[in-house]
Amino acid sequence: MTKDGSISFKNSPTQALVPASSPRDFFRQNSESMDGLIRKTFQKAQSQIPSPSVCLIAVGGYGRAELAPHSDIDLLLLYSASKKEDLPPLVEKILYPLWDLGLDVSCSSRSINECLKMAQSDLHIKTSMIDGRYLDGEYEFFRNLYRLFTKNVLHRKVRKLAESLANDLRLRYHKYEDPAYALEPNIKEGEGGLRDFQAGRWIIRAKYKTDRWDSILFPDHSRLLEKSVEFLWTVRNQLHVLSGRRQDDLTFEFQEKIAPILGFRPGPEGVEEMMRQCHLSTQRISNFAQDILDRVLRDPSPLKKTLSFLQRRKIDEHFAVANGEIHLLDPVAFKRDPTQLMSLFAHCQAEQAKMDFRVEEAVMEALPFVDDLFRNSKEVNQTFFSILEKGKGVATLLKKMHELGLLIRYIPEFSEIAGRIHYDLYHVHPVDVHSLLAVEELEKLKNGSYENEAPLLTSLVREVEQPEILFFATLLHDIGKSTNGDHSFAGAEMVKRIGARMGLSPEGCERAGFLVSQHLLMVKTALRRDLHDEQVILRFANEIRNVNQLKMLYLLTFADIKAVGGEAWTSWKNILLMELFLKTSRFFVKNAVPEPFGMDKMKRLQQSLPPEIISEYEDQLPDRYLSCYSLEQITRHIEMARSLGKESLFVEWEVEKESQAKVTVCTRDRYGLFSRITGSMFLNRLNILEAQIHTWGNGVALDTFWVEDSTKEIERRLLQLRKDLQEILNGKSSIKDFLLKRKESNGIKQKVIPRVAGEVKINNQDSDFFTIVEVTGENRLGVLYEMTEALTDFGCDIHFARISTLGNRIVDVFYVQDEWGEKIQEKNKIDQLKKTVSQRLAGTCPASPAF
Amino acid sequence: MKKIEAIIKPFKLDEVKNALTKIGVQGMTVAEVKGFGRQKGHTEVYRGAEYKIDFLPKVKMELITSEEMVTQVVETIERAAKTGKIGDGKIFISPVEEVIRIRTGERGKDAI
Repeated sequence: MTKDGSISFKNSPTQALVPASSPRDFFRQNSESMDGLIRKTFQKAQSQIPSPSVCLIAVGGYGRAELAPHSDIDLLLLYSASKKEDLPPLVEKILYPLWDLGLDVSCSSRSINECLKMAQSDLHIKTSMIDGRYLDGEYEFFRNLYRLFTKNVLHRKVRKLAESLANDLRLRYHKYEDPAYALEPNIKEGEGGLRDFQAGRWIIRAKYKTDRWDSILFPDHSRLLEKSVEFLWTVRNQLHVLSGRRQDDLTFEFQEKIAPILGFRPGPEGVEEMMRQCHLSTQRISNFAQDILDRVLRDPSPLKKTLSFLQRRKIDEHFAVANGEIHLLDPVAFKRDPTQLMSLFAHCQAEQAKMDFRVEEAVMEALPFVDDLFRNSKEVNQTFFSILEKGKGVATLLKKMHELGLLIRYIPEFSEIAGRIHYDLYHVHPVDVHSLLAVEELEKLKNGSYENEAPLLTSLVREVEQPEILFFATLLHDIGKSTNGDHSFAGAEMVKRIGARMGLSPEGCERAGFLVSQHLLMVKTALRRDLHDEQVILRFANEIRNVNQLKMLYLLTFADIKAVGGEAWTSWKNILLMELFLKTSRFFVKNAVPEPFGMDKMKRLQQSLPPEIISEYEDQLPDRYLSCYSLEQITRHIEMARSLGKESLFVEWEVEKESQAKVTVCTRDRYGLFSRITGSMFLNRLNILEAQIHTWGNGVALDTFWVEDSTKEIERRLLQLRKDLQEILNGKSSIKDFLLKRKESNGIKQKVIPRVAGEVKINNQDSDFFTIVEVTGENRLGVLYEMTEALTDFGCDIHFARISTLGNRIVDVFYVQDEWGEKIQEKNKIDQLKKTVSQRLAGTCPASPAF
Repeated sequence: MKKIEAIIKPFKLDEVKNALTKIGVQGMTVAEVKGFGRQKGHTEVYRGAEYKIDFLPKVKMELITSEEMVTQVVETIERAAKTGKIGDGKIFISPVEEVIRIRTGERGKDAI
């Protein structure tokens, strides 16, 4: 063969690889031409060198004749012990021409004894020899080697082989467990890759002495497995051809290139669909390998078998347990009574036992009996929810249920998310795997695995009511991902339907639906909203509705993020989530949420106002404000606020009962505003009976006062009030000037001495955002002005106030913050504040230094 | 060239990022960080158990910019990150000697 000719051989697959061609056909052709090439080279080498008698054997993947376009080629040159020194020149003559062709060939030369010895001690030599295939030379050598290998190596110490393979598998999984590999899997070495399939096959060869790996499996199972392996082979062949080298990482670049070649839709959907198949395939292969290994590793010695038979304990007429394994007493139990399928899992949970592999096969065989009758069976559903409620080992059981195909028969909606991936960098695992991982995280939390890292969450998961709803919602939180559009809301509807079918109470369905529909709300709020804004917490609390739902949502949020992949959950995120949880829970516990919430009113407002106004104001109006006013009033207030550019102040009133009026003041908020308004009222001898002051998010102050004037000259006084306030706010004069004038003219300084001692309470518990100052005392003209002035002088910013007069008693509540927008928390500051306000209330302190 | 590091409140990240994109900033590095300054940590109590928050979560963003852009970038961050309350964060500006784009080997302004 000429050099040119062979190079074209190596390149030929590029053109020859038609997408539809089965990988087996390709392997056959590729191996046949490779065999021809290697035989020719070998024969030529033998003719050039005075050659000892040897035998050429293909081992490894080439031995199996499963040669991908750029697989390496492993050869074994077998010689009789005496002629060792003649070998190196022969090996050179074989290898050099092949290397020159650019082939990745390696060749080891060993005697039969060396082979057997090395195979006993080295796992990789042993497994590569299992697949040996005669190529050329002394056939007798080959026959002898394999007779001895099969008898003395392969069928001996099968358990040890299984242990080594299981260990190798663990090491490989560990190497590829980085979430990046879930997005760009290595389809040979990664979890469920082709290497896993080989491992399963080797064990079957060793243990069951058969080449037909499918002969020991349930037929449906082996057909699916065969398809999975062929799919990975096809992908791998394409990967080699397109990359031009031995590339087994299915990177994004090649996912995009290969999907259309394999006939998937163009664009991201096609890639997602291909990767879904890829994940389903690797899951099946991984299950196959682990099950076979497990079967061999758990296989007891004959003595133990007898012992365990004696130790066998009957659970009921269908099942018994021995040696930590559940056995089936009646082989047709599932066919006769399919509901026993679910009972089996309950027994596994109760006994903390695994299933014997024959039980697993019986489950798979009984899957066709899982029909609507089964899905609607009260007994089955109750058993399922009681498994969830107990919570112990629930993730393992659900995984097993999924692996055996029972979960998707029982909850058919789950099959839509099986293997489904999202073509982005954040969602690492396919949706079904992610969902099961989330359940596992909850369980780990409950076990105390995160006790140091997340003590609050650990205590919450243990105290939460209706844990089965939480587990149910966690398992199905992403069920809506099979639909287009918002997966949370679509998922919520699906979960409610599924819950109803499974006999969950209407409240249970609602709660599960709520958790699914809001499963992203908490993390969005915690990470993207200002948690020091009371409004944010109020709105969140309003969505969450009660403290148990809050706990569940916090737990689901944890499980969801944790299950995304290694780095997703950070203590950074947890601090923010915890803060949101604690602030919101305090609202519920103390019932400090002003009722009713303003959300309904906002919705009605949306119908009556043009959308551009709504979009400008909807985030600005506090709930506490919305709940205090009627729609008409709010509409008028917004009108005023919108004209604040032209006018700097609005003072409007409605006179009621000739001596009383409701006064609305709208202006830009500024430090000390409340005090100036109450001062102006005092100035005009208006007695304040009630007041509501609100500050909008956009800095508009909207205050309402109910005032009284005993002289029945209220209109005149109010007109004067508007004028005075205008001047004061424009800075033309100050209250102090006015008061000084007044003092000179008629001296209202004879203060009423309170007959009841006033009381001032400073409360820091009821609000996470404000210090609440509660003042009770005797009413007198100007007392509110003095209170607000005292607060303002002290550096307090008054955000909200509720002033009321009961007979001659005032009950004033002020929500204040310091100049930094924080609560007043230092002990001496609180004491000082209390003292200042008390003195002013008692009238024992000069009103202000200017007096 | 200058390096601008800004420590801001987490929920301000999107706002700051959008504002910077609008003035033509093309890249930045963002990290979740924890720390404390004048705004100290605190202890939260839930059902009698204490949960200590001694470091507060913040976002740190880092970007390199040319001399002429520095003022605009800093003003933009300042405006977008401000709530007027304690804990709004800080901005640090420091000189950068050289920038190299590894792929092309470009240096200086071209590599930003």
